[in-house]
Amino acid sequence: MTFEPKIVGFLCNWCSYTGADLAGTSRIHYAPNVSVIRVMCSARIDPTFVLKALADGADGVLICGCHPGDCHYTEGNYKMMRRFPLLKKLLADYGIENDRVRLEWVSASEGQRFADVVNDMTERVRALGPSPVKMDLATDMAER
Amino acid sequence: MSEPRTGVFICNCGTNIANVIDVEAVRAFALTVPGVTVARTYRYVCSKPGQEMIIKDIKEHALDRVVVAACSPRMHEKTFRKACQAAGLNPYMLEMANIREQCAWPHVDGLAATEKALALTSAAIFRVRQQEPLEGLTAEMCPTTLVLGGGIAGMTAALELADGGHPVVLVEKAERLGGNLARVDLTAPYLDSARDLITERITRVQGSSKIKLMLRSQLKSLTGFVGNFDAEIVTDGGGEATARLGNVIVATGYKEFDAARVTHFGYGKLPNVITSFELEKMLTAGRIETREDRKPQYVAIIHCVGSRSAEFHGYCSRVCCMTAIKYAQEIKSAVPSCHVLDIYIDMNAFGKGQEDFYKRGSEAKTMFLMFGKNDYPFIRKADAKDDCDMLLVMDEQLSGKRIEIPADLVVLMVGMEARADSGEVAHLVNISRDKDGWFIESHPKLDPVATTTDGIYIAGCCAAPKDIPDSVAQARAAAARIMGRIAKGKIEIEAVYAEVDEDFCSGCRMCNELCPYSAIEYDEEKKRSHVISAVCKACGACVAACPSGAIKARHFTDKQIFAEIEGVLA
Repeated sequence: MTFEPKIVGFLCNWCSYTGADLAGTSRIHYAPNVSVIRVMCSARIDPTFVLKALADGADGVLICGCHPGDCHYTEGNYKMMRRFPLLKKLLADYGIENDRVRLEWVSASEGQRFADVVNDMTERVRALGPSPVKMDLATDMAER
Repeated sequence: MSEPRTGVFICNCGTNIANVIDVEAVRAFALTVPGVTVARTYRYVCSKPGQEMIIKDIKEHALDRVVVAACSPRMHEKTFRKACQAAGLNPYMLEMANIREQCAWPHVDGLAATEKALALTSAAIFRVRQQEPLEGLTAEMCPTTLVLGGGIAGMTAALELADGGHPVVLVEKAERLGGNLARVDLTAPYLDSARDLITERITRVQGSSKIKLMLRSQLKSLTGFVGNFDAEIVTDGGGEATARLGNVIVATGYKEFDAARVTHFGYGKLPNVITSFELEKMLTAGRIETREDRKPQYVAIIHCVGSRSAEFHGYCSRVCCMTAIKYAQEIKSAVPSCHVLDIYIDMNAFGKGQEDFYKRGSEAKTMFLMFGKNDYPFIRKADAKDDCDMLLVMDEQLSGKRIEIPADLVVLMVGMEARADSGEVAHLVNISRDKDGWFIESHPKLDPVATTTDGIYIAGCCAAPKDIPDSVAQARAAAARIMGRIAKGKIEIEAVYAEVDEDFCSGCRMCNELCPYSAIEYDEEKKRSHVISAVCKACGACVAACPSGAIKARHFTDKQIFAEIEGVLA
């Protein structure tokens, strides 16, 4: 049996979640591996959400927000954009491969783009195999 | 906390969901999750009997939480919240699992889709456990409206409100009312005089006891929230005023494209190349002449100057085509012997009466020539042997030939562009602009005059190029929206907003600067920050950034999202 990665998606309500809905409404087919959690803005995504998802067994985390300049809250996505490299640095220290956690911009009209992102991410995470660090991370977080 | 009593309702959505997802498996699974009291599948949960089923179950099983696994919450969250409310349950005790748009529709493998539906439903059950009953807020609605801009849209909006008996502060940057329309002679397609259109309005605005008119003035700052804004307005010469407001209508209009930017046309260098607004001046004065005071024998009108171009603005400015046809008619009637050449890319005659107007224009012996997008005609000074002032060289699309056309006067149909200060205005009233600088509406089709900031409305060309009827319609629509809210008296504010726990706040003020709505105030005495609930739009940027974890996003708390993560991966 091939390995089916479990990926948690954090999507902003106004652009990306609507874009994901549009992919469905347009019957664009994509891999069923990403389960979406809706937040109002990508700026709401606390890095601990990503750590928590990885600790709880996610093989990957996908974050999607409005394109820069298009944020419903003017500049929330820029906050996410700035926070993300720091998070990636931390994840690298934990030994989490680059492709497991990804930030993408998907607008409300980009159903196809959402599907493409999900497919691509699923393939990459599938190639990486199951997340090796979930146990370590879980112990680490519990100790904190 | 006593064990929750959750009802899980799984929608077949006719066959939309049930054809792909094994809804019975989802139901069976839900019953295994601790805290689930009842789980049912139903054909259409959003239907009246479906909602009645939820209401009945809430009452009979004393449910304190509801999960609906169905379509996107963007579709029916409100419907199911209302059903909860009807059963006496706080509407925020509902959570939806999106198993249609994000599961049944985009996935073809039934097994995998069912597996994902279980994860999404599990996430919703876990999340709803952590949800809390919330109450919205109410606030007073100040009946005064600030209108920014005294053009046709601003004046119309101000008069509509004043006629309804409501006070208005009308702020205009220039020293007179009328805006760009005051620079126009006749209007297409019915040839009404622009002066007639605006004079009546100017007189009524000036005479209205309800309208406080402030010319040569600008908004300096706007604070507060819908129903309770405070504005500072400055007047040239140092005058300053403050006003309490309930709502704001932004009707700041447009500016004309600078024709000198298109080097092909030689505007600013060739004296007989003029803009449409310069021709309006000639028409108003009743004299169509070249710089040398001669009657032109050849007038060329060039469309889409700055519009529909790869280099300048991609959009269509909407009013220029019909204005060009109007010019052709007016020039013909002023100088009957004159040859008018109308040089266009495409003829846009979209509105009421415009196709007829175009037809009449075509019959009036105007010669129409077509140029390709981004392939501008080139204008040069004619030689002494030529019988004209200038020569236009173009690749004419209809004949497919490169031709030379004589011209004594060239009129450039300059398009509309966002005003240079539109960014500043957007920042002042906290609304967004699109890539071209136009203000963004709440919904382009269903909510075209509201913005994403409650209490701020937009009307006229500041939102995008449009003609007079559309500008007037928007102005009246914005005024009507505001009058409806004034009539209601109180405003209801959503229960979803951020809250600072002052016991945890260290007073670092990091959140103060982060908030795009300036909704976080710092109390100098307490050395603590707090959120002005009514101004907060619940984005959660401050929540994620607070180093002390002192800010809570109501309905999107860390606990709730953590539970959702656990549920997805359970």
